[in-house]
Amino acid sequence: MTPTENSVRPVSTVADSAVVRVLAADGTLAPTPAAERYLEVVDALTDAEVEGLYRDMVIIRAFDRQATNLQRQGQLALWPPSLGQEAAQVGSARAARPQDHVFPSYREHVVARIRGVDPIDIIRVMRGLTHGGWDPTDPRNGNTHIYTLVLGSQTLHATGLGMGLVFDGRCGTGDLERDEAVIVYYGDGASSQGDVHEAMVFAASYRTPQVFFLQNNQWAISVPVATQSRSPLYKRGEGYGMPSIPVDGNDVLASYAVTKVALDEARAGDGPRAIEALTYRMGAHTTSDDPTKYRTSDEEESWARRDPIARMSAFLRAKGAGDEFFADVEAEAEAVAEDARVRTTQLGDIPTDVMFDHVYSDPHPLIVEQKAAFTAYESSFEEGAS
Amino acid sequence: MSPQTFLLPDVGEGLTEAEIVQWRVAPGDTVAVNDVLVEIETAKSLVELPSPFSGAVGELLAAEGETVNVGAPIITIVPSTQGTDAAAGPDVVGQSEHGEPADPEGGSVLVGYGSAGHVQSRRRKPAVTAHERVEASVGVVAKPPIRKLARDLAVDLAAVVPSGAAGEVTREDVVRHASQASVFRNIETPAWPGVREETIPVAASPAPPAATAPRPAPEVAEEREESIPVRGVRKATATAMTSSAYSAPHVTVWTDVDATRTMELVRRLKTSPDFADVKVSPLLIMARAVIWAVRRTPMVNAAWIDTENGAEIRVRHYVNLGIAAATPRGLLVPNIKDAQDLSLRELARALERLTLTAREGRSTVADQHGGTVTITNIGVFGMDAGTPIINPGEAGIVALGTIRQKPWVVDGEVRPRYVTTVAGSFDHRVVDGDGMSRFIADVASILEEPALLLD
Amino acid sequence: MSTANASAGSATAPTSGIESLPFSRALNAGLRRALADNDRVLLMGEDIGPLGGVFRVTEGLQAEFGANRVLDTPLAESGIVGTAIGLAMAGFRPVCEIQFDGFVFPAFDQITSQLAKITNRHEGALRFPVVIRIPYGGHIGAVEHHQESPEAYFTHTPGLRVVSPSTPNDAYWMIQDSIASDDPVIFLEPKSRYWPKGDVDTTARALPLHASRLVRRGTDVTLVGHGAMVATLLQAAALAESEGTSCEVIDLRSLSPVDYGPILDSVRRTGRMVYAQEAPGFTSLGSEISATVMERAFYALEAPVLRVSGYDTPFPPAKLEGKYLPDADRILEAVDRALAY
Repeated sequence: MTPTENSVRPVSTVADSAVVRVLAADGTLAPTPAAERYLEVVDALTDAEVEGLYRDMVIIRAFDRQATNLQRQGQLALWPPSLGQEAAQVGSARAARPQDHVFPSYREHVVARIRGVDPIDIIRVMRGLTHGGWDPTDPRNGNTHIYTLVLGSQTLHATGLGMGLVFDGRCGTGDLERDEAVIVYYGDGASSQGDVHEAMVFAASYRTPQVFFLQNNQWAISVPVATQSRSPLYKRGEGYGMPSIPVDGNDVLASYAVTKVALDEARAGDGPRAIEALTYRMGAHTTSDDPTKYRTSDEEESWARRDPIARMSAFLRAKGAGDEFFADVEAEAEAVAEDARVRTTQLGDIPTDVMFDHVYSDPHPLIVEQKAAFTAYESSFEEGAS
Repeated sequence: MSPQTFLLPDVGEGLTEAEIVQWRVAPGDTVAVNDVLVEIETAKSLVELPSPFSGAVGELLAAEGETVNVGAPIITIVPSTQGTDAAAGPDVVGQSEHGEPADPEGGSVLVGYGSAGHVQSRRRKPAVTAHERVEASVGVVAKPPIRKLARDLAVDLAAVVPSGAAGEVTREDVVRHASQASVFRNIETPAWPGVREETIPVAASPAPPAATAPRPAPEVAEEREESIPVRGVRKATATAMTSSAYSAPHVTVWTDVDATRTMELVRRLKTSPDFADVKVSPLLIMARAVIWAVRRTPMVNAAWIDTENGAEIRVRHYVNLGIAAATPRGLLVPNIKDAQDLSLRELARALERLTLTAREGRSTVADQHGGTVTITNIGVFGMDAGTPIINPGEAGIVALGTIRQKPWVVDGEVRPRYVTTVAGSFDHRVVDGDGMSRFIADVASILEEPALLLD
Repeated sequence: MSTANASAGSATAPTSGIESLPFSRALNAGLRRALADNDRVLLMGEDIGPLGGVFRVTEGLQAEFGANRVLDTPLAESGIVGTAIGLAMAGFRPVCEIQFDGFVFPAFDQITSQLAKITNRHEGALRFPVVIRIPYGGHIGAVEHHQESPEAYFTHTPGLRVVSPSTPNDAYWMIQDSIASDDPVIFLEPKSRYWPKGDVDTTARALPLHASRLVRRGTDVTLVGHGAMVATLLQAAALAESEGTSCEVIDLRSLSPVDYGPILDSVRRTGRMVYAQEAPGFTSLGSEISATVMERAFYALEAPVLRVSGYDTPFPPAKLEGKYLPDADRILEAVDRALAY
């Protein structure tokens, strides 16, 4: 099945003159005009930090591949791969400050990892052991909120939290180390949801210290982005009264710089910003999907030539990184993936009565009654509770 | 090292099977974790399956082109001798059939439900525990259909003794109460004017005691004659009747009496809280009257005994009061032991219990043994009086007739009163004419003026 | 900080003891007390600032507590509830106002997919003390979408608590208790009761949030209902009395969870029950309560539990609402049927 002939490619592509790019697809330093104002931020990165960005991307790609394999081995119900979107996620996640609040959708595995979430907690969600996975209030998790599966809903939650930061004076003081900001991740498909629109309305109205980070990975399962919008998605933000920047989402340096500037401007009290990171979902929507039914291998190959890790690898080599460095990164990536695989196979069951435990915060008579009835019922069998 | 088995997983959220398209390995090949083993095709797409184990391929358990159910084993791999893998996981990985954990001890995967749904058979349960006692509500515990039945049969639920496991009134309780009422309630005893008393519908065909009509005559006489073998209770009854009738010279005396005050007393007792949970009827007063009268004419409560040394009359100074009862088994005469010691209320209880027991055919031999004097209630059949046969071993039997309104002279005027006949048959060897008349007169006196019982 | 404007002829909090107040004033007083007692409480909704809400429930509150505590939001119900969830994550206790019952549906996804489930999703790591106030019900001659009774959608959703006061005193206390609850609460305000007055005792709370209440003693039939229907039940009971039938009336107050104690106690004494509600009867709250009472009071029942409800049609034009909504006549007809068993 071929993509519909009627699909009009959106105006916003990586060739758009407004797009911020620093690294060309071949890894050479070739800043676009729109990137000029961000070069200072890029230059301020140390070599170690730059190598760290590469390392982050390689590790998560290995983990992501392993998670897909785990699903194919019957260990997970589902896995939504982040393959191809490493640069947009690593760049933006490294741009956030420790005090910031992160609202992912459900594909931001490296964002969660960078903020401190143990990847096994994401695995637990996909294995059917929990709906949440981790505690956002635990300092180890870096204020990362849990995945939201209803598209776009988290944008409103993020805006609400941003409003709370404004009311409590936790932003806008000018102290970059203390002022808090919110970054919320969503995709091109979600951008059509009403909640995203309302989130931007409220964010602009209350001038929240917030960055709306849209990863346009070109596909909402099998529906191309052209069906979501006839106009570049980054232009929507302007309509709400917030600065809006398109960035090459496969360029980790540009993603980093644009997000950093946006977050710092927002936290300083200048109101919300929107970023459209142009990237590509190189894998399927999830392990249940079959992209061969709706997109061409030509298209996939054209994006493979723009691979975020390959361009960064070329860039680092040109800067003098040696085989030892790359081998070390590879080895660490394999170790992380293997660790995830082993720990997944060792995950046990959850107690069956846990379904009653957190329905309400305060004690609730019906829950008490039903849990007791459930427990009695389960124990009433001769072979005991199963 | 034992081989590890890979079961076909559900790769697409609810798939039940897949076709083996192409094996990428052969038996004997060395494979590492995540190496592609096979390409399968599901309803949704083509999928490559990566190996969960490393080692040497053992057996391919499904052929290319074959469709395999989720959970079926597809390949075995003999693990390598290196230690890293051995600690990595259990021996069986993947989706097992029907969703059971592949290796319960290994704590491995349970994802999806496989082909046949996941309920194999019903888990075994021990027997259901006994009913809890139903929370006592004010009033009667009875299910709606039973309430309706009670209403239809005009049974007062509050008067029914409940026998349900949870303390509720059952259908059988209601039916028994209704039929008992139609036998042991005088069907001609009407409601006292002004009293809200339930009306007992006349039973369609009140079952007469087995002694007089063993069973209904066939509707169509197939033959001109029918032979019924005499056995069991019928035989015993016949024997008893014969021996009694032909050994004791029976004399029957009777009198009519104005029982209006008894009817009044019965009504008052019925509405008294002390008698709320117990049956009260004219039979109760008659029973009390007989006990009272027996004290004044002890010879009625005696028996003619033939011994080797000649005959003797044994006078009993206790009253085991027999009540002739028509039961499913036939005519029985169970008795209330030491009835003379019972208060009115206790006597009512005893009568009720005896009645229920007899109706259920549960009267024991002991119940029927040792009677000293008997009452037979022929009023239920609408009879005024009769010539009852004495129960063997006794000297007297009293018949309570129907109580109905008749003209009576009161203070020189003819007025409707509740009138009944009290009759009794006596063994003339034991009781003389004077005695039997006085006895019957005494019983009648009580019925006329129950207050005499205070004496 | 309160300003001089706050006391200029607009709502003032009752200072002591018992005061006769309309329901909406009692709510206003309860909200004021909650705002004063806990600075994490904030109100948000459309037109609740200077206008004081279309039913004046929030009159004077923004002037007293400021625009950061009493927010006029953009006109977007999903946005109101969604941002309230985010504010709860930031440690606030938001009280949302949905302007009318019929307008809660745009927020339905944020209420059911998010607010109701999010405590469970977080496995208790976070609390979401969000109250959503919704004026509901008919009898004010309103146009379409302004007289709905959507309570069943919310009572059917695990994770939510649902309450509906019927008197000014209950309004005063139940709004405060709902705000104090750490769980999401759908607070249904019977709008036909906004203006009638009743005694409010601001010194002592009479009942816990989730308790039902016996409001009239009787012996023959138990009448149960919630919100605006309670007044109708009392009316029906008074009329029944003049005909020789003694009715007991129970105000449900809490729709989820339901406090069955007083109801079962009553039915065990009377043996008969009628549930009355404005909402359409099919798969309604009344249906759930009837089934539970029949199960738990089976042996006490002289008649099946009967329901009197709105018809299973969209709410009709206001001219017909008198025919649509249960009134004393329809309730008494059900009482007669119950007694005929």
